[in-house]
Amino acid sequence: MASSDFSPSGASSPDGRSSPIANTNSSPALGPAGRSSRRRRRTPSTTPSPSPGALLTPSATPSASGPPSSTPSSLRRRWTRRHPATPSTPMSADENLPPSSDAGDDDAVDHDDADSAPVFVWGTNISVQDVNAAILRFLRHFRDPREASRGNGLLDDGKYMRSVHRIMELEGGESLDIDAHDVFDYDPDLYTKMVRYPLEVLAIFDIVVMDLVARIDPLFEKHIQTRIYNLKSSVCMRNLNPSDIEKMVSVKGMIIRCSSVIPDVKEATFRCLVCGHYSDPILVDRDCKRLVGVRLNTVPPGRINEPTRCVRQECLAMNSMTLVHNRCRFADKQIIKLQETPDEIPEGGTPHTVSILMHDKLVDSGKPGDRVEITGIYRAMSVRVGQTQRTVKSTFKTYIDCLHIKKTDKSRLLLSDQMDCDNSTTNKTVEDENADYRDKIDKIKELSKLPDIYDRLTRSLAPNIWELDDVKRGLLCQLFGGNALKLDSGASFRGDINILLVGDPGTSKSQLLQYMHQLSPRGIYTSGRGSSAVGLTAYVSKDPETGETVLESGALVLSDRGICCIDEFDKMSENARSMLHEVMEQQTVSIAKAGIIASLNARTSVLACANPSESRYNPQLSVIDNIHLPPTLLSRFDLIYLILDKADEQTDRRLAKHMVALHFADPETQVQEFIDLPTLVAYISYARKHIHPQISDEAAEELTRRYVEMRKRGNAPGSRKKVITATARQIESLIRLGEALARMRFSEWVEVQDIAESFRLLEVALQQSATDHSTVMPTTNNVLVAKGTIDMDLIMTGISASERIRRENLVAAMRNLVMEKLQIGGHSARLVELLEEVNKQSSMEVHLNDVRTALATLATEGVVLLHGDSIKRI
Amino acid sequence: MVGLPYDFLTNPLGAVRQTFEKSVASSPTDVDPAAIFRGKDWGAVDLFHDFLFVKGGLAQVPSIDALSMRWLEPNTLVRFRGMVQDMLGNELYVGAFKDGSSWRTNKFTDFSPIQLPPACETQLWERHLFHCVPVPGQNSWVTETKSIPSTQNVSSSASQHEGKRGRGSEDEDMNLNEESDNGDLISSPNAKKQKEHENTCSSSCLSDDLMDHGNDSGLGSGDSNNPTCLVKIYDLPESHLKLNDVFEFIGIYTFDPVLAVHKDDSDDPMFELFEDPTVDLPPSKVVIMRYDLSCIACVWNLNPFSIHHVPRLHCLICRKLDAQDFLSNSLVFESLSTVVRGIRESLLSHLTAILGNDELAAQYLLLHLLSRVRAQVEVMSVGKLSLNLTGFTRESASIFGHQLTGVIQKLLPFTQDITLTLDYLNTATLQPRRNNKTGRLVAGVLQLAQGTHLTINETCMQSGTLSSNGIENARLLKNLLELQKVEYDFEYYKLEMAADVQLLILSEAKSSILPADLVLPFSPGSVPATNATSEDLQAWRWYLATMRSLPCSIEPEMNLTLQDEMVASMQEDKSLGCAELNRWLTMTELMSASFGEKNLSLEHWQMIKELERLRKDRLKEKAR
Repeated sequence: MASSDFSPSGASSPDGRSSPIANTNSSPALGPAGRSSRRRRRTPSTTPSPSPGALLTPSATPSASGPPSSTPSSLRRRWTRRHPATPSTPMSADENLPPSSDAGDDDAVDHDDADSAPVFVWGTNISVQDVNAAILRFLRHFRDPREASRGNGLLDDGKYMRSVHRIMELEGGESLDIDAHDVFDYDPDLYTKMVRYPLEVLAIFDIVVMDLVARIDPLFEKHIQTRIYNLKSSVCMRNLNPSDIEKMVSVKGMIIRCSSVIPDVKEATFRCLVCGHYSDPILVDRDCKRLVGVRLNTVPPGRINEPTRCVRQECLAMNSMTLVHNRCRFADKQIIKLQETPDEIPEGGTPHTVSILMHDKLVDSGKPGDRVEITGIYRAMSVRVGQTQRTVKSTFKTYIDCLHIKKTDKSRLLLSDQMDCDNSTTNKTVEDENADYRDKIDKIKELSKLPDIYDRLTRSLAPNIWELDDVKRGLLCQLFGGNALKLDSGASFRGDINILLVGDPGTSKSQLLQYMHQLSPRGIYTSGRGSSAVGLTAYVSKDPETGETVLESGALVLSDRGICCIDEFDKMSENARSMLHEVMEQQTVSIAKAGIIASLNARTSVLACANPSESRYNPQLSVIDNIHLPPTLLSRFDLIYLILDKADEQTDRRLAKHMVALHFADPETQVQEFIDLPTLVAYISYARKHIHPQISDEAAEELTRRYVEMRKRGNAPGSRKKVITATARQIESLIRLGEALARMRFSEWVEVQDIAESFRLLEVALQQSATDHSTVMPTTNNVLVAKGTIDMDLIMTGISASERIRRENLVAAMRNLVMEKLQIGGHSARLVELLEEVNKQSSMEVHLNDVRTALATLATEGVVLLHGDSIKRI
Repeated sequence: MVGLPYDFLTNPLGAVRQTFEKSVASSPTDVDPAAIFRGKDWGAVDLFHDFLFVKGGLAQVPSIDALSMRWLEPNTLVRFRGMVQDMLGNELYVGAFKDGSSWRTNKFTDFSPIQLPPACETQLWERHLFHCVPVPGQNSWVTETKSIPSTQNVSSSASQHEGKRGRGSEDEDMNLNEESDNGDLISSPNAKKQKEHENTCSSSCLSDDLMDHGNDSGLGSGDSNNPTCLVKIYDLPESHLKLNDVFEFIGIYTFDPVLAVHKDDSDDPMFELFEDPTVDLPPSKVVIMRYDLSCIACVWNLNPFSIHHVPRLHCLICRKLDAQDFLSNSLVFESLSTVVRGIRESLLSHLTAILGNDELAAQYLLLHLLSRVRAQVEVMSVGKLSLNLTGFTRESASIFGHQLTGVIQKLLPFTQDITLTLDYLNTATLQPRRNNKTGRLVAGVLQLAQGTHLTINETCMQSGTLSSNGIENARLLKNLLELQKVEYDFEYYKLEMAADVQLLILSEAKSSILPADLVLPFSPGSVPATNATSEDLQAWRWYLATMRSLPCSIEPEMNLTLQDEMVASMQEDKSLGCAELNRWLTMTELMSASFGEKNLSLEHWQMIKELERLRKDRLKEKAR
């Protein structure tokens, strides 16, 4: 007989508490395998039923749940027959002797539910009827509180009743997804039972759903499987332990391997080679592999024993039965390996893995590399020594029977990003439902309410790099970023803030960059020295074999929506730098190579750092000369910081103190509160994603007022220089900075204070870089220009206003000199002589080169004739 | 319970089981007797602890090595020293079961003592699996001192098993026993044999990883032949052991021939992913490596799985080892400052002699040898001091470099050296990588035990193009040097593991691939000379191991003085940055440690400043 080949599964759990449900309307085998076998039975139209006789059993088993309609009960009857019901007693008397499958085979014991004593889940005091009723209540009456609040009167049906209806209408869906949170909200007791005894409760769930379906449409044939997801708590993979066996768990991880799809024999049919008699289909009980503890099965998991003899009375031939493949039924199965994600691995540990068994529809629903959350039943399987041996090792292999798989693709906590204005709603809802995530958000929001959040964030940014607070503030702004704006006209304004750090070696610029790279969601760290134009942007290569052209994107494209940190910016080749022009303003990279003209998005913030051209900052030279970068590129940086190693005893002392503290864990430095790195990352990504501040009216007014003021400053009366202190680019920068500052507070409005701070930041940065250093020097005419004038001209053209004046003065002085010393047509003078003369007159040292330039100017004026080193007056 | 006549050495399981049954019997009847012992010890470990450490039984416990593997009996007490190379997760097993009316336990073994009754009450317990290997780069002197007790055992127990082994092996056995005092003699024939094995079993892809590992980590060490060990840890949180930690495990050695043959259900595709990583580590008792080639062939046919025998050790007691634990116990020096100073002087003069009378280099080398990573603060590693000796040519590197690595090998327990060439960078596997097919971590060269010394000889480096692998390798080395971190590849993501490796770089000029903390032009005045007695060596080993682990603190006044000093230096020399100050502080700490002092003093600071001045002068001189 068919059923004799498998022993009842679910017989035990390691501690012998869970067990099959011995009741009238359930059967011992109710695991996934049991359920799938039922499904098969209900689709006789698609596959011819091999042996109708086995299906039809006259004895009717009245349903426990509600008035029986004819079809469902007959359906149930069918599988009651298949998995013969056991005479139910409230508690099995002997734990070591689970109900034998053979016992109830010949007599489908009739039970009248109305009279029968309550049936319990074996080994527990959970009443099957109670669970049944609880599930029915839940399915019928659960209403989403969110929907209910909308007060829609039309929602007579509960959330899941509507899902059931939808599935029936579509005919396609075969699974009913049930949010475990809903179960918990509606009936915490049911939730606890479900998690503790998932096999039994899920089986009842299926029965209830099928009953419901049958009542709505008696002709609905498909089996609907319930899939639970979103458990209240998920387990860390490494914390799975024996006490979780046979319980519902939820683990997060990354798929690292998938097996091929395995056809899994569900029903085997044998034929007698002697008389040609076909045996009844034999159910292969997959569930025997979860045999744990108490009883060790004799039939290897997933194996069918060939019947030893033909059952036909006339034949009875021995060893004549052979498997008929095309009469067997198969189901899909797949095993995947899940590995822990980096955030769950403790220091000094390697990631754990766990095997996941996927059935039917779930097969191929995840690919290697996906981050998923699996809800399933943790199970153990005994290890057999050798194929033929009966001895079983005392060790077990563990796996999770997957019930539900959810993709949570977010590598660095919410990589999907801010500048994306069209937030995909699906993503959002999935995240919002996550309890973990909600907790985190609450924490973050609380943080944002702190009055000193700005300072706290500044402190927490690269805490081991002391000082440089204003630089850190600028970097913070870059991390938070402004709002990208796309006008209907097609014009777009970038929201990214670009920062350049110029400074002496050993001022921890690189460390800052490293740190920023860690923090930014899609940070790319590259060194200008090593990257060519293609390396930095994108490059087309031709496959030598196929001739296929392949587009390879470089750092800038890769860091789309992130921060591209470029170290040693000054060492970068001209070619690569020219690419940056486009990137930094238009935010695209255009490639015209090998016949492909492509414009790739590179919405990236650039954080570059450069050493001064003479490796140390030379205060005698202008910033431009020091940095040695084209002014056009410089102007694209919102903030340019000069980090100078100033000889300041205070800073030195602090540095010294810091160093000593680093070595000897000085308690003094531990007082300050830092926000740890993960929280900081979460904080930033949340702000970038959810906060889109707008400028308030007052702030806008303030912006205008201060901008005008700034422009005016350059044209202050009495100043001989015409100095541009601010340009339109600056106003854009200011807005971006203001927006970033508002984001830090999670404020939807850019306030006056933000504008004030952004002006301050800009000025601090400008004062360090655009302040004309030569203005402190007395020029040839002894004109002393006020120190610290902001000169945008310097950034824009590379020549400061005072430098211009100095050159003009020199030319004038040279002209006078030439007029004095040389006669028209007379003998020529040597350059060096003139230099001496000039230096005699001037209070300041004049270089030979300056003299040469001045003379060249005169030559163009037609005053003198330059011939090598000799000068002739014309 | 103490005083019961348990045979801890040869029947440790008996002690485990008896104590279990006693504990069950004495536990209150109203609770499930077996459940309360889940994840707990019932006094068995205490008994062993008492036996091993109080009664001095430790010396009688044989350790697992290539030699002892041949006569070790299953289910006896053994010990193993090794590095945690891979963590294989946890394993569930039937911890306790009811045999009739009494509970029995399966703890500390793979198999139950008696056949499990077909239907019985059981308890599932868990244990953690670790794959441990002999410490990569372990020097021969470490094992020399340790092998004494085990060789004594060999003669007695080997005779019991003679009947089981062939004649050829017996003869060889005798030879080996004689040779066992000299690690080199043992290892060379072994290495050769292992090579041969690789050839014979190349058709099978079995445990290729293991082979790889043996070759990769076997750099310059004579111990790659020692078996790796699958250690099963009970009742301890997994976090107790960290990757690359060096541990000593004392536990029960198990082996079952049935296990060796089986490879369960490999024909069934559904099991392909259930395959646990340990199948690559088949247990075996037979060590074929020493058999004759003809013998190999026949054994090979019989049992392909015994090529790589990985013993199982069910750990009763484990302890983390420091460098000091590798010293021979015979010599214990007093930490008197005069003694320490004396040893310091002799070591310094020895190093000076090795370095051809370059005393400055010797001073720096001493500090370098004493360095260790004391803390990882964000991106900074405090306490490391990598040294780059420049001015080597290919010729002088072969003379001095050889001497130098030789000395370092004799002084420190774990050393490795790499000759960096273009080819090496392009082809070598430096990065440890998880093979997701087997679930095993494949060790790269840079999977090193904490506290390993690594010498990189850069003098043979030529110019040429680096492949992507080469670039990656160069980056890994640079990261190790600068951050003391090694990135492990887990296919879909990478994890950084903290490392503690002393790096010494020998190069022609300042190395830009490997930017060390210190660059010192090396200027030898004579040819290297060596003159060290074994007593000297032992004293020096003790000195380095002890001084290195000295804690370092600072008095508040000294703290302020030091700050003043630093500020003054910065005022004097504007180019001083955070890197220099950090280095000076580290060096000052090391200097005071080299005198065996725990507190920083101004004197040491001044010494460092003087050293640095000399170094700077030399750098300038070279530049000219």
